[in-house]
Amino acid sequence: MRTLATKPRGWDAAVAAAILLLAGALALLLFLPRASAPVSVQIYQNGALLYELPLNVDTELVIGGDYENTVTIHDGTVAVTHATCPGEDCVHTGPQSRAGRSIVCLPNRIEIRLVGEADVDIVVH
Amino acid sequence: MTVKKLTLTAILTALALALGLLERFLPISLLIPLPGVKLGLSNIVTLSALCVLGTPYAAAILLLRAVLGSVFSGSVTSLLYSLAGGALALTAMAIASRSKRLSVYGVSMIGAAMHSIGQILAAMAVIGSVSIVSYLPLLLVISAVTGALTGAATGGVLVGWDAYRKRMPSGGSL
Repeated sequence: MRTLATKPRGWDAAVAAAILLLAGALALLLFLPRASAPVSVQIYQNGALLYELPLNVDTELVIGGDYENTVTIHDGTVAVTHATCPGEDCVHTGPQSRAGRSIVCLPNRIEIRLVGEADVDIVVH
Repeated sequence: MTVKKLTLTAILTALALALGLLERFLPISLLIPLPGVKLGLSNIVTLSALCVLGTPYAAAILLLRAVLGSVFSGSVTSLLYSLAGGALALTAMAIASRSKRLSVYGVSMIGAAMHSIGQILAAMAVIGSVSIVSYLPLLLVISAVTGALTGAATGGVLVGWDAYRKRMPSGGSL
């Protein structure tokens, strides 16, 4: 039997701090450089681009596959407003408007990406 | 392998499956609407098995739980996510638990964080895109919290197991 302390120790706090630090650094790296207004909504299924739509034109479309997802673009935001997949995480994600954000439906393998004007992954200053 | 170890492995596998099922009734994904968010109650079993039975048994329980769990839920992709997350978490916890400076809390948090990372890596492979990594920061923050909670629960299990062993005439040898 491996003996492991059952009371918290000082280094546990260091582990928690390291995880939070990693999360913070990753969030900064991912979201900061893409604060500019997004231009288009890309909808991927199984990694293949299905649609590329402007975010400023209101529209609604239904994506098939194993399940059905209704994607609604309205007032400069995109949201999955209805889905037949189990869990409906994509619907609960809610409307997104900033470049770099995405809405994902894992059961139907759909990814909705908001792509900004400059199509770069990461900008390091 | 003794009969005691084999039996305990089977019991722990059943327990992990039951906890995984119980978890579906806890609507944590309604509070935090992200794919893959869960309490990770099965991690209590994985970490307890790691401490009580050792790494090979913990790996066997993990594999059985992932396969049987996806049979019960009928989802093949969930098998991939739980295997990728679970294998990474178990490996990290097996290494971390050798440290004398960490308690169950730290080891459990490392496991939870690695589970999130493994899941995201699997999702990146399934969807064929890297941008899903944008979920990772929030998932990591949540896993620090859930990891501490399951760590506390595992601590309770280990204390109970120790007390049980001391009561046994055989000294609780496996």
